Amino acid sequence: MYEFTQLGWLKHVIFHPVEGYDDLRWKKKGSMKIALVIVLLLFIAMVVDKRLKGFQFNDSYVKVFNVVPLFVQSIVYFFTWVIANWALCTLFNGEGTIKRICIYSAYALTPYVVGTFLSVFISNFIVRDEIVWMNVIYYVGLGWSIVLMIQAIRTVHQYSFPKTLLSIAFTLVAMLIILFLLVLLISLFQQVYVFIASIYTELTYRFRG
Amino acid sequence: MVPRMKKSIKNIISVGLALSIAAAMATTAYASEPYVSYNYDAWNDAIPSQSGYRVDETITGFEMELNKLAEPGSKLFISEDEPTNLSNASDIFYEDSTEEFWIADSGNNRILRTDSNLKVIGCYKGVSNSKTAVDAETGLSTFSNPLGIYVSIDEKTNKPILYIADNKNARVVKAEIESNTSAKCMHEYTKPDSELYANSSETFNPSKILVDSAGILYVVVSSVTTGAVVFDETGEFTGFYGANRVEQTAAVIRQAIWRKFASNEQIASMTRNVPVEYANFDIDSEGFIYTVTEAANASTDAVKKLNPAGENIWNTATGNEFTFGDLPEFANVDTSSFTSRLTDIVVGKDGIINLLDYETGRIFQYTQDNDLLFIFGSKNSTSDQKGTFVAPNGIETVGKKIYVIDGKKNDITIFVETTFGKYVHEAAALFEKGLYEDAIDPWNEVIKRDGGYALAYYGLGKAYLNTGDYDKAMENFKVSVSKGSYDRAYEYSRDEFLRANFTIIIVVLIILIVAIIVLRKLLKKGIIKLPKIKKKPKEDK
Repeated sequence: MYEFTQLGWLKHVIFHPVEGYDDLRWKKKGSMKIALVIVLLLFIAMVVDKRLKGFQFNDSYVKVFNVVPLFVQSIVYFFTWVIANWALCTLFNGEGTIKRICIYSAYALTPYVVGTFLSVFISNFIVRDEIVWMNVIYYVGLGWSIVLMIQAIRTVHQYSFPKTLLSIAFTLVAMLIILFLLVLLISLFQQVYVFIASIYTELTYRFRG
Repeated sequence: MVPRMKKSIKNIISVGLALSIAAAMATTAYASEPYVSYNYDAWNDAIPSQSGYRVDETITGFEMELNKLAEPGSKLFISEDEPTNLSNASDIFYEDSTEEFWIADSGNNRILRTDSNLKVIGCYKGVSNSKTAVDAETGLSTFSNPLGIYVSIDEKTNKPILYIADNKNARVVKAEIESNTSAKCMHEYTKPDSELYANSSETFNPSKILVDSAGILYVVVSSVTTGAVVFDETGEFTGFYGANRVEQTAAVIRQAIWRKFASNEQIASMTRNVPVEYANFDIDSEGFIYTVTEAANASTDAVKKLNPAGENIWNTATGNEFTFGDLPEFANVDTSSFTSRLTDIVVGKDGIINLLDYETGRIFQYTQDNDLLFIFGSKNSTSDQKGTFVAPNGIETVGKKIYVIDGKKNDITIFVETTFGKYVHEAAALFEKGLYEDAIDPWNEVIKRDGGYALAYYGLGKAYLNTGDYDKAMENFKVSVSKGSYDRAYEYSRDEFLRANFTIIIVVLIILIVAIIVLRKLLKKGIIKLPKIKKKPKEDK
C-alpha cells in the first residue's frame, strides 16, 4: 500500500504520529543515512541557535564560543540515549534492535530540528514584542518531537503506552549512569596519561643530566 | 673630503646606535596611577579601562600650614602644643558659597576650616555658651571625637553655621562663627527624651549629620537602626528617616518561620533581626538624600536615594537593577575573599555620585542613571605610595576634583580628572540631559582613548536612534550589548523598510499568490504538466 522514497517515509512518519511508525515497522523501512544526517543537523541547529539568533534574543556569552558542550548535548546525548534504551529494553522484552532504535529516535527529532532552524530564522526578523511567534514555533517543534519519540519507543519495542513511559524514564536514568561512568573513565585515563607523561619527563631529565 | 665624510657618517651611525641601545635599555619612567583602572562590561566582567582620574597631590598637616596653630605670633595661635598634623580625621565638607573646606579632625578633637587650597584659616576646639564638657582653663565646651561636620550659611547674617556631630559628648552642636578660632553655641541637640527614641535604643552618639535647606537636621547614630534621627528647625526630635531593610539571609528567614511556632518566652530570648544602620549620607541640590551602608558586602539597601518621604527611589523591587560597588566575582584579584565596605557617598553638583569603599580604597563613580563611569583609587598596606589609602574615611567633590581624607595616613589626597575623564564627564552630562546628538563628539573622543568603554557606544547608539540613523544605532548598540535599545532601533529600521517598500512587497505577494492559484488550476485540468525533475522512487532492496 505505502510506496514512498526514504524521504517520503520520513514525511509519512512525521505527519502520522499515531500509526506512522507502525507502517514504517511493518514495511521494514527507515534509512540509517537519513537518521545520521538528522542527528548531525541537530548538532548544527544547536550551534546555529547560539550563533545566528537575532541579537536582541541572543543571551549567549559571545566572548568565548565552545562547540564541545553543544556536541555533547546533541550527538553524545543521542547515542547515549540509543545505547541506554537498547540496553534496558532488551532486558524487558523490547523487540527493538539497536539500528531501529537509532533510526526511529532520529526520525522523531526532525520537528525539533526544523523548529529550531525556523525560530532562529524568524528571530532575525522580529522584535521583542513578537517573541511569541518564535517561541510558538520552537515549542511546537519540541512538543511534536516528544510525542514522536514516545511513539517511536512504543513501536520499536511493541510496548503498551504506560510501559513506554516507564522505559523512557528508566532510559534517562541509564543515560545518567552511562555518562557518569564515561566521565569516570575519561578522568582515569587522563590520570594514567599524566602519570606516563611525568615518568617520561623524569626520564628525560635523568638522561640529560 | 670623501674619507672624512665617511668617517662622519660612521660617527653618526655609531652615535645613533648607541643612543637607540641606551633608549632600549633604560626603563621608561612615567607617571602612572598606583592601581589598575578597570570597568565592568555588559557581562559584568572586569575589563581594563583608562583612568578617569589621576592623583594630583597629597596634602598633609604641613601643606595645610597647621604649624600656624602652634606658632605664638600667628593669628591662629591656639597653644604651643597644638598638634600640627591631622589625626584620624573622619569627615571633610565643602561649603560652596564661601568656598571653604571644613574638616573634622577627630583625633585632635577639633574642627579645621581651610580655604579652597586647603590652607588652614580657622580652628575650633570647642564652643562658648554651653555647659557640656566645659574646660576649666578656657571656659569652652570642648569637642570630644567630633566625627561629622556640616556647614550651612545663615540667610540673614550670611555667616556660616556649624553643625558638629560631637560623638563622645553625645550631642550635635549648632554653632555660630564668631572669629577664626571661636564659635558660639546656638543650640545643642542631645538625646531625645521622647518615648519613641528611648524604646529603640539607649545611647545617642552621633557620627554623621546633614541639614537640608529647610534647616531640618538628620543625624546618623550608630546604635539606631531605624534610620537617621531627625530634628526639626526648632531643635525638636520628630522621628526617624529612611530606615534600611533587613537583608534576607537564610538565618533571617529561618528565624521568621521559627517565630510562628515559638512561645512568647522563646521569642523574647531570640536575637532580634534589625537592619544595618547606614554609615553616611549626602544631600544633593534637589534635596534628595543618598545613604550608604558600611556593613561588609551589604546587598540590601547598600546605597539608596531617598525622597523627602524617606522612600528609596532606587528600588530594585520595581524591576530596575541598581548595583553599586564591586561585584563579588571580580572584586579582588590579589586576595581570595571579597569584602566591600562602602563608607562614604558624595553627590556632586552635576549629579555625579562618588562612593568610597573603605575596604579596597576604591572610589566608584556613577551617573544618576547608575551608569558606572570610573573605578579608581587603591588601598596600600605600606602607606608610602602617593594616591593610595590606608583608612579612607571621607570623600568630597568640588568641581571636577575629588578629595579623599585618610584617617591613618593623616592626609588628604586630591584627584583631578584626566583628559579621558573630561570627555566622559562632558558626554555623560549631555547624555543625562537627553542631548544625545551633542554628545556624539565627546563620545567619539572617549572611544579614541578607550575602545572598550561600553557607555560611549550606548550613548552613540542613542544619538543615532534620535537622528533616525537606525543602522548606525544598531551597530553601536551591538557593541555596547544593549539588547533592549537594539530591539527598538531594529523595530524602527524595519518599519522604515516596510514603509518604503510596501507597494513592491504587496505587488510581489499578489503576483505570487495569483501565479500559484493559476498553476494549480492548470495542473488540475492537465493543461500543463510539471517537468519530471526526479525519477520515480527507486525500489530499495
